[in-house]
Amino acid sequence: MLARRLRLMGPLLVLALVATGCPADEGGDGGDGGGGNLLQTITDRGQVRCGVNDEVPGFGFVDEAGNYSGFDIEFCRAVAAAVTGDAGNVEFRSLTSEQRFTALQGQQVDVLIRNTTWTATRDGTEGAAFAATTFYDGQGMMVRADSPFQSLEDMRGTNICVLSGTTTELNLETQFQARGIEYEPISLETNEAIQPAFIQRRCEGWTSDRSQLAGIRSAWPETEGGPGALRILDLTMSKEPLGPVVRDGDARWYDAVNWTVIATILAEEHGITQANVDQMRQSQDPDVQRLLGTFRTEEGSTFNPGLGLPDDFAYQVIKQVGNYGEIYERTVGPNTPLGLERGPNDLWTRGGLLYGPPYR
Amino acid sequence: MADTRTPVGPPFWRDVRVLRIAGQAVFLALVGLLLYWLYLNLVTNLRRQGITPNYGFLSRPAGFRVSGSAFSSRESVWSAVLVGVRNTALVSGVGILLATVLGLVVGVARLSTNWLVRRGASLYVETFRNIPVLILILFMFKAVTLRLPPVTDPIELPGLVMANSGLWIPWVSARPGAGAFVGALGAGAAAAVAVAIWRTRVQDRTGRPHHRLAYASGVVFAVAAAAYVVTGAPVASDIPSHEGRTVTGGFRILDTYFALLAGLVIYTASHIAEIVRGSIQSVPRGQTEAASALALSPGQRLRHVVLPQALRVAIPPTGNQYLNLTKNSSLAVAIGYAEVTRVVSIAIGNGNPAPQMIAVLMGIYLTLSLGIAAVTNLLNRRFQLRTR
Repeated sequence: MLARRLRLMGPLLVLALVATGCPADEGGDGGDGGGGNLLQTITDRGQVRCGVNDEVPGFGFVDEAGNYSGFDIEFCRAVAAAVTGDAGNVEFRSLTSEQRFTALQGQQVDVLIRNTTWTATRDGTEGAAFAATTFYDGQGMMVRADSPFQSLEDMRGTNICVLSGTTTELNLETQFQARGIEYEPISLETNEAIQPAFIQRRCEGWTSDRSQLAGIRSAWPETEGGPGALRILDLTMSKEPLGPVVRDGDARWYDAVNWTVIATILAEEHGITQANVDQMRQSQDPDVQRLLGTFRTEEGSTFNPGLGLPDDFAYQVIKQVGNYGEIYERTVGPNTPLGLERGPNDLWTRGGLLYGPPYR
Repeated sequence: MADTRTPVGPPFWRDVRVLRIAGQAVFLALVGLLLYWLYLNLVTNLRRQGITPNYGFLSRPAGFRVSGSAFSSRESVWSAVLVGVRNTALVSGVGILLATVLGLVVGVARLSTNWLVRRGASLYVETFRNIPVLILILFMFKAVTLRLPPVTDPIELPGLVMANSGLWIPWVSARPGAGAFVGALGAGAAAAVAVAIWRTRVQDRTGRPHHRLAYASGVVFAVAAAAYVVTGAPVASDIPSHEGRTVTGGFRILDTYFALLAGLVIYTASHIAEIVRGSIQSVPRGQTEAASALALSPGQRLRHVVLPQALRVAIPPTGNQYLNLTKNSSLAVAIGYAEVTRVVSIAIGNGNPAPQMIAVLMGIYLTLSLGIAAVTNLLNRRFQLRTR
């Protein structure tokens, strides 16, 4: 009798639990949901989860020891330095071009710094928000140095390798259709899959962002002829503004990432480097003081623009990672194997496109 | 005196019949609530990120090309998915046919009295049953098709052109009058069926062997030859030839298709061979002995006595293998063949919402699998022993 009553209680108990734990409007695990929680969550957690590339030398690359290096990696570390105070508080997650937005939407990464192009569809349908552009790039075409191709028209009827899930894939189609050139796309998931196909001459052209092509070319194995065996055509097929990406709907976190990038640009504008940042703290220039967190009003209060970041976040970023120019020179600059000139990725005062809004 | 007008049973909250029904209803309600909660969770989170949780995106222009087909990037996402389904059906259909034939041959070979044949078949089965199919497919692609020379300098055999971008075989090309020729062929096929039925009736009546296959083939050939002459040679052979970077003529088999097909067929055939062997061994020995006593040759014995009975046992597990082959075709994502899973992956990577696309993908595989299962069940019912 008692046993039968207890057996009835079981299902009723589960029903009650489900009914109470069923808040229809909140949903989810409530972890990083809502507008503006992620910054707090990360500060509490003490670590930033950064979605990155692991196969493009110079931008996002991992060596045999598991160390990540590259332009995008440096900005991941900058965000960690700004938010948690230590540039080492980053967990890197390698993502393929097909997975990256699903991983971002599924909250597996907090920020995606993975040579991702800013487009309208990604802002809209993909539910992503793009912070300040870190690298103004364009799409290019790479061929073997001994092939006769000099322009896109020469590539009529050829097979062209491209990464799937990228703007490159879509631009390739648009550009070739507009010029009425037939071609055959070989769309593969990773650069690692494209490389053997290109080596075996399964495809005669390899299209990607020019920066990626430069990185791949710089690391081309000597057994296949080294970098000299490849040639990047002297044309740009599209605009590719690359920058960090966060999820829509979290303005606080977006501001944090955005202003971290802007701080590196402002630092270069003011001539603040990793070496002289401690000295610059003594500066009397109010702009520099505000940036480095040493500004004091007459009443003695600090400058807090309400971004949710610590007062000295820019100081931490510059001290631990460096300003934009230093990051550039260290990873993709003219003295690195990639050898990319600043070009549009220079300060506006030097003719480039980097223009930091005032930090005030 | 006892009241015997109305039967007095236990109260409803102790009545076992009521409790059973109530229990099932409560369980169903729980499952329904759980599913609804999961669904609400998904929809809320999608909305919060600004992704619309409906299927409207299927009619948007795809923007991407599907390699190996004439699909234009201006057509809709749904059309791209259909191209993927067509490719999956192509590889699954041909794969099922080839795997059955190869599996049958190897399965029978495993029971051969010839030592070399038997050992060879055993080696084949034991090797390929134990290698994961993905590795087999990757091997066929990376170590076989990709190693072929590029299309600028292919291997040219009489009638065949082989390069790492594909295999070109001789084909037929249509010339004016081809439509009438095909129509005549159709009429010839119908006539062949009629002739086969007539010959069977002749055998039933007189007992002489019907030779219906020979008669039917003869009819088809005669009609085809007559139609060919009458319509003025409407089909010509199309031999592939290579110039520079292109190959004209012939029928092109994609390199990735070939690698996928080879991998799937070799793997599935090894399983089907085991099923065939087991089903042949399940036929009672008495049948084989009786057939020998009736002076049937080993070939006739196999064809008329053993295999029909073995088939009955073999159909359900073989249907299973067909389902496996169809689902294993999704491994084409590893080599870039544009079957439906790959197309859906590309679509997701190009901005289409993942939950809905995966739901569409699962629905497609469910439909394909249920179709194959339906055909298998039909065959099963038809071949079942009527006495059971």
